[in-house]
Amino acid sequence: MAVCIAVIAKENYPLYIRSVPVQNELKFHYTVHTSLDVVEEKISAVGKAMADQRELYLGLLYPTEDYKVYGYVTNSKVKFVIVADSSNTSLRDNEIRSMFRKLHNSFTDVMCNPFYNPGDTIQSKAFDSMVSAMMVQAS
Amino acid sequence: MSIPDYMQCAEDHQTVLVVVQPVGIVPEDEFFRIYKRITSVAQVSIRDSQRNLYIRYRHHYLPENNEWGDFQTHRKVVGLISVTTCGSAKEWPQTSDRFHCQKDVFGATLYDSRLLVFGLQGEIAEQQRTDVAFYPSYDDCPDVEKRVEDFVESIFIVLESKRLDRATDKSGDKIPLLCVPFEKKDFVGLDTDSRHYKKRCQGRMRKHVGDLCLQAGMLQDALVHYHMAVELLRSVNDFLWLGAALEGLCSASVIFHYPGGTAGKASGREPSLAHGALTANGISADTSSEIGRAKNCLGPEDIIEKYKEAISYYGKYKNAGVIELEACVKAVRVLAIQKRAMEASEFLQNAVYINLGQLSEEEKIQRYSILSELYHLIGFHRKSAFFKRVAAMQCVAPTIPEPGWRACYKLLLETLSGYSLCLDPKDFSKGSHRGWAAVQVRLLHELVYASRRMGNPGLSVRHLSFLLQTMLDLLSDQEKKEVTQSLENYTSKCPGGMEVLTLPDGLKLPPVPLSKLPIVRSVKLLDLPVSLRPHKQKGLLENNMSSKSPFIYSPIIMHTRGEERTKKIEFRWVQGDVCEVQLMVYNPMPFELRVEHMGLLTSGVEFEALPAALSLPAESGLYPVTLVGVPRTAGNINISGYHTSVFGVTSDCLLDGLPSVRTSGCVVEVIPSLPRLQLSTSLPRSAHPLRPSKEELSSSVSVQLFNGETQQLTITLENIGSEDLETLEVTSKTCNTKEKLFGEFLSWDLEEAVSQLPLKPGQSVTLTVNVKVRLDFSGGENLLQDLNDDGISVTGLPISSPLRQVLKPRAETKPLGSESSKTDYNHVKTLEAVMTFKYSGGAGKMEGYYRDLSLGVHVDVEPSVFFTRVSTLPATRTRQCHLLLDVFNSTEHELMVSANNNQDLVLHPSECQRMAIQVAKFDFHTLPQPDQEAVRYTNPKLLEEERLHAQASMISSTLGITWNIISFDGEASVEGVLNQLVLEHLQLAPLQWDVVVNGKPCDCDIIADCKVGDAVPLEVKLTNRSKNAVGPFALTVVPFQDYQNGVQNYDLQDAVTFIGSNTFYIDMVKPTENSACMGALLFLYTGDFYLNIKFQDDSAGQGKELPPSWFGLPSVHIKALEAPIEAGA
Repeated sequence: MAVCIAVIAKENYPLYIRSVPVQNELKFHYTVHTSLDVVEEKISAVGKAMADQRELYLGLLYPTEDYKVYGYVTNSKVKFVIVADSSNTSLRDNEIRSMFRKLHNSFTDVMCNPFYNPGDTIQSKAFDSMVSAMMVQAS
Repeated sequence: MSIPDYMQCAEDHQTVLVVVQPVGIVPEDEFFRIYKRITSVAQVSIRDSQRNLYIRYRHHYLPENNEWGDFQTHRKVVGLISVTTCGSAKEWPQTSDRFHCQKDVFGATLYDSRLLVFGLQGEIAEQQRTDVAFYPSYDDCPDVEKRVEDFVESIFIVLESKRLDRATDKSGDKIPLLCVPFEKKDFVGLDTDSRHYKKRCQGRMRKHVGDLCLQAGMLQDALVHYHMAVELLRSVNDFLWLGAALEGLCSASVIFHYPGGTAGKASGREPSLAHGALTANGISADTSSEIGRAKNCLGPEDIIEKYKEAISYYGKYKNAGVIELEACVKAVRVLAIQKRAMEASEFLQNAVYINLGQLSEEEKIQRYSILSELYHLIGFHRKSAFFKRVAAMQCVAPTIPEPGWRACYKLLLETLSGYSLCLDPKDFSKGSHRGWAAVQVRLLHELVYASRRMGNPGLSVRHLSFLLQTMLDLLSDQEKKEVTQSLENYTSKCPGGMEVLTLPDGLKLPPVPLSKLPIVRSVKLLDLPVSLRPHKQKGLLENNMSSKSPFIYSPIIMHTRGEERTKKIEFRWVQGDVCEVQLMVYNPMPFELRVEHMGLLTSGVEFEALPAALSLPAESGLYPVTLVGVPRTAGNINISGYHTSVFGVTSDCLLDGLPSVRTSGCVVEVIPSLPRLQLSTSLPRSAHPLRPSKEELSSSVSVQLFNGETQQLTITLENIGSEDLETLEVTSKTCNTKEKLFGEFLSWDLEEAVSQLPLKPGQSVTLTVNVKVRLDFSGGENLLQDLNDDGISVTGLPISSPLRQVLKPRAETKPLGSESSKTDYNHVKTLEAVMTFKYSGGAGKMEGYYRDLSLGVHVDVEPSVFFTRVSTLPATRTRQCHLLLDVFNSTEHELMVSANNNQDLVLHPSECQRMAIQVAKFDFHTLPQPDQEAVRYTNPKLLEEERLHAQASMISSTLGITWNIISFDGEASVEGVLNQLVLEHLQLAPLQWDVVVNGKPCDCDIIADCKVGDAVPLEVKLTNRSKNAVGPFALTVVPFQDYQNGVQNYDLQDAVTFIGSNTFYIDMVKPTENSACMGALLFLYTGDFYLNIKFQDDSAGQGKELPPSWFGLPSVHIKALEAPIEAGA
């Protein structure tokens, strides 16, 4: 399962970021932040003509020694990034996809909340618990 | 080979390597000057061959790397240029030796070498050598470039010969096996005759020839050779060399496809390169070769494929790490040109993991920096920033004995853009913070730390202020505390200011005003206190036709945003007077915030700001702060911002940069200075303000007076300003009186005060004001009724004798009906008035300004006496009457009432007594008539009231009733008491009847003397003052004798005789005219006679229309005396 899940606004600042080893959160900040380069590159690579039928799932953004970083971009250019442990080989592409789909659904719920201002950091408890369910249980 | 050259790119494969080195002692700067001139010869076109030779210069090259020269010929040092200084011929042999030593280092691979000798004086005995050039000095060497070109040409000749030598396929010869340093021992004892070995040798040689061809500018040949080499080497699984051959193929293709180069920056190539390359490669040659080359050449996609393949082969050899890394770098550069960032990032990702064994710290830094640069090249700015930051951290790694904080700081600064952080706080003022806060905060912290370790606390302070200002919302309470603490620590060494910090490399750090410590919500300019507000003199050329529109009124408002700020404010400030601006601030910090030197920033007018220090409690709500200052000149002042000093950082916060600040305008007019008056009075200050507080008062006094009392109020006006007081006007206004007020409430004489003007600063003037309270003295509403049912209302008919005895006996002291009515009498009434002192002087007066000082006068009026009833009685004389007043003492003291020519009346508390005053009837016609102009425009009701008032005050002043309580005394006025009926009685009738007896006017109590026997002339005169004509009248004179016992004798035919008729006829009398008729009486006996003049019935009809009081004719009392004897005789 994921070790870090982040939601990034259209303007590339984090709306939500959560990682499992809490003590080294900044590392994940850097990981997710640098992955944005790849996300942007992938989005721009698709080209404008294809924009409407673009696959939201971006796939593996880049592997690092310890982690694999996956990306997903909604049509409103909100990015989801999931960082998974490289050693976890059981994690398939399909599972990642379903995780992103769940994340997207939950995010849509957050956006539907009339008390939520788009652009604010996400503080929804429902979203939080959903993310927790997807995270690796800290042993 | 351990140190990679990160700057390599694909086209370096076609260059030949020349090392330029100093020999002996050569000043560094001189060497690099020469080096620069040498490197300018980077491309030489060879005569006759239309080919170009590219040269790569190095001033430093490891001989170890040279050993890889056979593997890739561009790594081979083929030329050496030495630069040396040689002062004299004596030193020459030594220098020459050194040169030869150096040649030996690269000896095995060198094609040629040169020695440039500078500074030689005199001649060298030795014969001329081609490889040595002498120059007198570093400045005087015009043909260095020429020499280098010659040198390059000679290298070319060697290169070409080698190429031809190797290229010609001498199949019979045994081809030597080329190998890289680490392979040498692997081939020991190998069967050199095997097919496999031969093929390997062939393949490697082909690859080598390909390299040489590429260097020699024969791209086409090179491609062919590389292709052959690939085939050969693939068949023998010689992976390292296969990789090299593939890379060669890629390099050649890249050179073909991207003649502009892949290094990004123009690395010494001429701009006309593309054209040159084309001609050099023989565009004039037959097209078949062109087609062939295109066939051999790899397409852009293939280049990357082949690079990938090559790198994977290199990866099989641990010792070829550097080659692999360099290949990655080259491939990335190619991809960057192709704009294929994703694939480039994969290559880079791979490069990151290439293990080069133990790297020194410096190498690590270099590696990270180059990674960062390459990421930047492919547009991955965040990744680039990440690696740059890693490099920066590497500079100060704990393992380094001397951390390079300066370098670290410099690198960190370069990462700013990658984290989309700009050190100008203005970028953050718009809206909320956007960006990856966590990493930005981290970076700022690192900048702060690095700059501190660099020994530049100024920078630390600047960065910390920036952190506080821009990231305040994102810091936790604990962080806020820490940041501010460290900020205070730094500022103790180096206070933060508003100047722009310039770094050595030219980067400018703009000042950071801490506008969030505290946060200012609104700025409001305050008007001066009421007493100091300037007013514009009316009528003095008011040219405030401010509207620019030609229309007097237009519903369309020219509204532009931002106008609010520059909007001028209604009120004005005065030069030299303390002006106030109110800020609503709050402290966002979780601890107490001390703000020092908080002052205003202004423009337009010289302004002396008086800074304030304040301390805001933690997380305070909105907190008002008043900043003050004194404008020193006149004009329009603009409050542009404020100045603070927090945690040792001084900041100038301009309102323009703070859109969240609400303000109702910041521009206010400052008028020239005016004098300032301070008012003090002899009376105590009023505790309670005047009730109608619609006007603000500078001060007010209060006093308690009895109704009718007069008090003197001394007002001292002191000029406490700096200007002379030139004019002073005093006005007063009575406000809010439900009570009817008689007489002037406040009166004063300004003459004396004005005579002392102009008043110099510090001087004072006094003014005495009489406070006179004369409220209604009437006893209440039921007054009129009492009067009526009293029955003593006078009919106006002549009553010849005093009727006092007819009056109903009245209780001298009438106990008051009930307690409630008593309290009604004791009700304390208040009187309020505002005195306004208008003054001006100095420069402000020139501009037409003045100031107002207002003094509220509050008087509690305690009732003194009341006139509970009033009535009139006719007096004995027709022109007089008695006014009866019931006087009630409502005070708790004994009171004495007196009137003009009347005895005093002593009243005990709550005692009521009647007082009779004989008064002459009033002729109200003598009162001044209101002028016609006023009459026309005023309400007739008002006019009537005015008339009544005038009449009443005339009566009152004639009566002059005063009261006296122990030490107080006062007047009492009957004005309010008099009603229409009483007034009528007190008024002289419009028809005036005068009876003249014996030439003397006669009235009731005047006794006319006459002599018996003498004719007494009697004249009755009527003066008509009414508005209509009256008459005619017939009057009958009836004489009678009063025996004073109630018996009147009318039977006097024998005692009195008329001469002529006893009836007088008066014709119609027109208004303002008079008419008289004469008659005569003859008294035959002595005695007291009365004449009763009656109207005859025929005129009664006439008389009925007129009020009876108009026909008040005096009765005449005549005393007939004995005629003197002598006269009679």
